Amino acid sequence: MAAQLPEADAQVPSLALAPAGAELERPRGGWLRQLDVLVPGTILVFLLFLFFVWPVIGPVGKPTGGNILNANIEPWSAGHIFGTDPVGNDIWSRILYGGRNSIEIAFSVQFVGLVLGGAVGAIAAYWGGAVDMVLMRVLDVLIAFPALVLALAIAESLGPSKSHTILALCFFSVPAFARVSRAATLRLRERPFMLAARLSGTGTGRILLRHITPNVLPQLVTFALLGMGIIIILEGALSFFGLGVPPPNPSWGNMIFEGQGILSAEPRLVLVPSAFLFITVLTFNLLGDALRSRWSSV
Amino acid sequence: MTGSPALRLIGKRLATAIPVLWGVTFLTFVVINRLPTDAAQQLLGVNATPQQIEELRQKLNLDEPLFSRYFSWLGDVLSGNLGRSFASDQTVTSILSERLPVTLELLAYALIVSLLFTVPVAVLAARRPNGVVDRITMTLSMLGLSMANYVLALILVYIFAVKLEWLPAIGYVNPSDGIWPFIKSLTLPAISIGFPLFCFYTRLLRADILEQMQGEDYVVTAAAKGAGPWRVLIRHALPNSLFGLLTVVAVNIGTLVGVTVIIESIFALPGIGGALLEAINNRDILVVQGIVLVLATVVVVANLVTDLLYAVLDPRIRYGRPAS
Amino acid sequence: MTDHTASVETEPQAGDRAPGAPLLELRDVRVAFRHGGRRLVAVDGLSYTVAPGRTLALIGESGSGKTVSSRAVLGLLPPTATVSGSIRFEGEELVGLSERQMRRHRGASIAMVFQDPTRSLNPTMRIGAQITEAIRVHQKLDGKAAKARAIELLKLVRLPAAEQRFVEYPHQLSGGMRQRVVIAIALAASPKLLIADEATTALDVTTQAQIMELLRDLQRKLGMAMVMISHDLGLAASFADEVVVMYAGRAVEQAPTRTLFANVRMPYTKALLEAIPRIERPPHQPLPVVPGRPPDLAALPAGCPFAPRCPSARDLCRESAPPFGEGEPGHRWACWYPCGSDGAAPA
Repeated sequence: MAAQLPEADAQVPSLALAPAGAELERPRGGWLRQLDVLVPGTILVFLLFLFFVWPVIGPVGKPTGGNILNANIEPWSAGHIFGTDPVGNDIWSRILYGGRNSIEIAFSVQFVGLVLGGAVGAIAAYWGGAVDMVLMRVLDVLIAFPALVLALAIAESLGPSKSHTILALCFFSVPAFARVSRAATLRLRERPFMLAARLSGTGTGRILLRHITPNVLPQLVTFALLGMGIIIILEGALSFFGLGVPPPNPSWGNMIFEGQGILSAEPRLVLVPSAFLFITVLTFNLLGDALRSRWSSV
Repeated sequence: MTGSPALRLIGKRLATAIPVLWGVTFLTFVVINRLPTDAAQQLLGVNATPQQIEELRQKLNLDEPLFSRYFSWLGDVLSGNLGRSFASDQTVTSILSERLPVTLELLAYALIVSLLFTVPVAVLAARRPNGVVDRITMTLSMLGLSMANYVLALILVYIFAVKLEWLPAIGYVNPSDGIWPFIKSLTLPAISIGFPLFCFYTRLLRADILEQMQGEDYVVTAAAKGAGPWRVLIRHALPNSLFGLLTVVAVNIGTLVGVTVIIESIFALPGIGGALLEAINNRDILVVQGIVLVLATVVVVANLVTDLLYAVLDPRIRYGRPAS
Repeated sequence: MTDHTASVETEPQAGDRAPGAPLLELRDVRVAFRHGGRRLVAVDGLSYTVAPGRTLALIGESGSGKTVSSRAVLGLLPPTATVSGSIRFEGEELVGLSERQMRRHRGASIAMVFQDPTRSLNPTMRIGAQITEAIRVHQKLDGKAAKARAIELLKLVRLPAAEQRFVEYPHQLSGGMRQRVVIAIALAASPKLLIADEATTALDVTTQAQIMELLRDLQRKLGMAMVMISHDLGLAASFADEVVVMYAGRAVEQAPTRTLFANVRMPYTKALLEAIPRIERPPHQPLPVVPGRPPDLAALPAGCPFAPRCPSARDLCRESAPPFGEGEPGHRWACWYPCGSDGAAPA
């Protein structure tokens, strides 16, 4: 190599050609520019308020134990904005309590996935070698394993319940988080400060806790947000197979499943919970997407 | 030229694929056996006497220990025999050959249609990032991504089967009974699977094309030759981006199989999903094993094929993609 | 437009312009980028001319504006860039041309060779397709004629086994062979000007020399002018007719090669010169470098941009920027206290 000149400095603008009109860097700073986070964030807060606070403080009826005499009340009638279902339960109330169930399940599943999967992935990447090999093969088995068999097996042997739903869904989330965490830790391992920490004799536990966790966690949290929607959708899907939240306790999934049979006569039984499912999933996706683009542009 | 590294890669991937397949089938075997009732009880129903159940159990070899049954199954599989169903006495192979085509047809339909739309739409969107087409595409795909397959399926049924009566709501028509009715019977299920896929793939492909356009020098070379913007996009950036998409398609096949089961049940399609549900319900362990083995093999083979395509077609794997 | 059987030799120039008129003329070229809400001036008032068949070397560190200025010639800058001033090619103004008009020049009358042949070739396209594309963008040739021409080009750049390489992918070639392919692509339409952007930097030393020799031979044979971008003053000394040294987006010294090396005026050029590795140096010694860091374009000092790193900087240098003037006939520099003189500022 010829004369060694100092290498390219960061402020040299990229010379890459982009199609005309491209301004892909997300502008930062200024609240207007944070709208991509603020809008879904606000909607999410509002939804959480509806599902968790409003049933406690507001005029919301019980989601179960409806009177059959009140069955199939039309929407927009007094006391029942979305009407009632064929057994006389208020749909609005079932939507709110169902939403609470969905969020609780999805949150628990993602939390377990983040902690357990995050730890497994970080350990596999940090130790490498045989530990990594074995852990990754186990995860491969779990990923290739038809999740439906597992979910049905759990439903059949343990019976349907909210906690069993969470258990079944954790088999999705843990391997997924483990992969993300492993990849992120592997990238981190190559960085000079990690080497410095190891060379200076910092203990493994301390490195994992002090150096790896703070760097990997933001990525895992973003991944958790992006996965919330998927878990909410999957939870609903389990209702189609007799797992999921057991009726009469409401979940959007079992509401849709029950409404499916009388779709042509009473489409709102499917459409109302579907709409809430859609809005909630969209909110999480928008928020996760916005956070991810922040994260990758840093 | 590329033969030997590709062969070595096949060997390496097979070496990891076989333990995975073994693990999946063993796990299934254990899980099904852990269920509170077994096939003898499920098949004879609640009114059967303990003696009848015991007799059937012996006939089905259920009285033997779990490990010896698993290994005799494994031995049979290796010699090409997947066993017979407890419930119908049909061979597992014939159940598979009857049910698998429906599922594969549905998957192929969904994949082909979604990819056919993905490529032009992603290219149009990537031509002018943040332009009108791009914004519409990004918004629509975000909406589509947030839609559960089963919700989409029900809405499609409501609109196209119930209201408009254009397409059948349920059922499957064998292609030998007419190609057009066959396609019609699979159209709504295929859209239910394919539309969210299209949204997902389009976002991915668009992002990858933009990454190529912004980060890769060969794009500048092409522009410096005097090639027009469309040519640079389609002839240069797109083929490179398609490799990334290909991987995702292959990796996703596993998840798709799960989605197919729900869609098959909504549209009452006689695919592998229904067979699996029924077999689990009957504790028909050999049928479950056969299906699980096939599904896991599909996933493993899809990944293997992608790796190979990469090794043979994509030279970047040799010197690694420059991190930009 | 050349006909099917045309060899790569250039045709005689159209005689509507005065002999000796410059082929490429940059006058007060300025390139600014919008960068995260700020404006960065990457090239600030650059002027030079290149006569037909001659070689000009643009020398500087990364970020000195040498690459940006030459990309500006072909309009190959991201949309965040704005170019002002005047860039004339054969008398035609290139600044402000539409994308479509610009494309007539790209690869046709002006071609470019890039730094890293590994990255500048499309990994998923065969060598042959990449060359024929360059040919067919500008010439109406059928597939067969284009292939013949491509193989002719591959032979011209002395790529062994040209017919076989034609159907291979870039990864099957060595770095030097890839750069020959990149050069063949550049020569596809017999350009009058070749811009070689650090064409040999990514190659090993032996290959570097071979590629430079090849470029020089081709230049003589085809009568092309060349703008050679490099951070290596030594390379410029042996290949260029004229040298422009750039620092922080500005020309800081400019002269015919002989004049420049006989009489270096700008301390920065001197530092670059001293940084050239020499064969006489003992092996395994750290190579000398220009001290200090390259300038931050977003925070340039008030005075001479080189002052913070300059060994002979005085108060005046930190207060006001020296003009870029013709201190001696044909030799321009921007320095208040040039080397080898008694401190007289250029007129």
